Amino acid sequence: MTQNLSIPLSDLQPGDQGEVDQVKAQGQIRQRLLEMGFIRGVRLRVEKLAPLGDPMELVIKGYHLSLRRDESACILVHKVV
Amino acid sequence: MSLTIALAGNPNCGKTTLFNALTGARHHVGNWPGVTVERRSGTFEQDGSVLEVVDLPGTYSLAARSEDERVAAGFLSSPEVDLVLNVLDASNLERNLYLSTQLLELGKPVAFVLNMVDDAEARGVRIDVAALETLLGGPVIPTVGNREQGIPELKVLLAAMARGESNRCRRITVDYGHDIEGELAKLETEIRRDEKLEAATPPRWLALQLLENNAEAKRRVAESHASEAISQQLAKSFAFLEPHLGADGATLIAERRYGFAHGLVKEVATAPEERLTPTARLDAVLTHRWLGIPIFVAILAAVYSVSFILGKIPQDWIAEGFKTLADFAGARLPAGELTSLLVDGVIPGVSAVIVFVPVIMILMGCIAFLEDTGYMARAAFIMDRLMHVMGLHGKSFIPLIMGSGCNVPAVQAARTIESRQDRLITILVTPLVSCSARLQVFIVIAGTFFTPFKAALAIIGMHFLGLTLAVLMGRMLRSALFSGPSSPFVMELPPYRLPVLKATLVHMWEKGSIFLTRAGTTIFAGATLIWFLSRYPGIANREWTAEYLQQRQAVATLNLPQAEAEDRLRALQLAHESRIVNTSLAARLGQKASPLLRPILDPDHKRPEAWKDVIALTAGFVAKEIVVSTMAVIHQASEEPKEGERLSPLQVALRDNSGLSPLTALAFMVFTLIYTPCLGTVAMIRREAGTWGWAGFTIVYGLALGWGLAWITVVAGRALGFA
Repeated sequence: MTQNLSIPLSDLQPGDQGEVDQVKAQGQIRQRLLEMGFIRGVRLRVEKLAPLGDPMELVIKGYHLSLRRDESACILVHKVV
Repeated sequence: MSLTIALAGNPNCGKTTLFNALTGARHHVGNWPGVTVERRSGTFEQDGSVLEVVDLPGTYSLAARSEDERVAAGFLSSPEVDLVLNVLDASNLERNLYLSTQLLELGKPVAFVLNMVDDAEARGVRIDVAALETLLGGPVIPTVGNREQGIPELKVLLAAMARGESNRCRRITVDYGHDIEGELAKLETEIRRDEKLEAATPPRWLALQLLENNAEAKRRVAESHASEAISQQLAKSFAFLEPHLGADGATLIAERRYGFAHGLVKEVATAPEERLTPTARLDAVLTHRWLGIPIFVAILAAVYSVSFILGKIPQDWIAEGFKTLADFAGARLPAGELTSLLVDGVIPGVSAVIVFVPVIMILMGCIAFLEDTGYMARAAFIMDRLMHVMGLHGKSFIPLIMGSGCNVPAVQAARTIESRQDRLITILVTPLVSCSARLQVFIVIAGTFFTPFKAALAIIGMHFLGLTLAVLMGRMLRSALFSGPSSPFVMELPPYRLPVLKATLVHMWEKGSIFLTRAGTTIFAGATLIWFLSRYPGIANREWTAEYLQQRQAVATLNLPQAEAEDRLRALQLAHESRIVNTSLAARLGQKASPLLRPILDPDHKRPEAWKDVIALTAGFVAKEIVVSTMAVIHQASEEPKEGERLSPLQVALRDNSGLSPLTALAFMVFTLIYTPCLGTVAMIRREAGTWGWAGFTIVYGLALGWGLAWITVVAGRALGFA
């Protein structure tokens, strides 16, 4: 079941799954995130946070990626339960 | 006949291993013109054709933003490339195919290598190669790069394509859907108005990049005479697409590309089994909330010990060997200019270059190992929070720590940082980290002027100061030089893999030999220049030489016991050298320059010998530990303590005659810490940053910062009542 509320990816907790709604970043960062697979409707799962709380590790399109809070806050997702 | 093959693919897809398997030892490592990205090219022969392979930097896309992407995109669209070989990681096919959708737009034949099929199979992914060939419109060869599986077939295929005998390539491009294709066609029409623009890049590829809002593509269009028409069409296309399809061009195009990749993977590959991979199991420990940092520290300590403790053994052999050689030559050859050039110039110069090689090779080998296994990305993941606060990248941590052993390989270690900004800042602040050579200077100075406890405190303080400055300068440089947003930290955590030993060894050898040929010449030239400054004109003074020889002979005729004779000869040699150095060009320079250092080293203007510091510091530019041996020569006092005494004759001379006070000695240490990186580091910065400008900048800011902080030390110290 999916929830309709869009929240920043940075608000997801380890173990949470979500679906990408929109990338709000601009310029280079936006392009990079799109290329790495952050496109509408893609499923992702937050794997863990780094020992110091940032960045986060997530699984998207079957591979592991790490993102800083700065970047993950620009990605809107909705939680998938 | 010959053909150039460009090897393209994502980072971590096993491209370089495949390159090594194809070309064997017949390859050459250089730099791409104008940038510091490594250019690897090699050849192989198959069925009578010679094929050249160029290994492009690993990229996720050809959007031409980073240096790596610009190099890859530029080379791929140049007429030099006849064939593109796209390496795909079979265990991560969908993301890898994103780059393929771009490569297929370039209008060149593309062949595919499906690498790491073993990894994919271990995850339960089976790929239908024949179906993949049909959907990609080009030949696909499955390989396991590190076992050379599939390499012979690949060579045969490439040779056949070179001879034009293979017609397995069909033009396939992503279908972007009716609306986008319509706009692409309109843009293409406008682009074709400029023949030069049309010839430089396939118009459809350029049109796609324009729709993606790519800055580089827009820049190229702006130079064209058709730029106005193209921009107008682009504005119209945006105005049509965005409201119509509900997203901007970049999003739409990325969605279509991933749509293509996703559909293709669904068609040709089975879904991976849901089970814990070995990587997930390793990461459960290696990046664990509590265990991650201790493990990282342990690994770092191991790398540090192997590089600087184990590496010190061959380093000592080399230094000893050259010293023996110099002593041997000095004893056998007649005293004079040429002998001095050889003994004091060339031999120490060559030695100063070669001593770095073992440490560089070991450290680079360790780093290559960490990188190839995939741990380096985890290290960056663990440390990024801390480094981000300092304005740096998670991967900056390792160079900074290694800097405390030796700055030279540390600067080279910054190579693992992908973003040029982050790399440059790391390179520029690494020299502030106090290295083991500076430690030798600190030990002598602090040991002379402080009690053992305070000396230890002062030395620890220097290391702490160095790290603090690196952090502060990192932040300052970030905001002063690169005002734009910091580069995004979007880093893949690749699966752990066992690296191929041969690849690591090749890597070590390359790093060592590149250092010897590139940085080595600079270091050698600098060492010779410093020799010249510190020996002339005295070394050419025949009378002095004759006098010295007479004195030696006089000692020889005394028939003293051997130990005493040697002592006397050494004292004579020291006196002779001291005379030469103290009247040299460097000494004159020192006398001229000493007013500049007066506020920090001679605030009361009571030290007639302050100019001697300038000579020692100038000579220390070759390598910081030379500050000590030069002081020994200038002050005509040995640096080796006599038995049973805490202070060496040099330290006694410094304490009694140099006029330094504990406070100015501390200022001297501060200045030595910062004033300028040693020649080896400067040469390495020049090589890694790509221009002399940055190397010069490091010297200048080091001098200014060192002076400023030493001055503050003196002023604050006096205000607090120290002398």
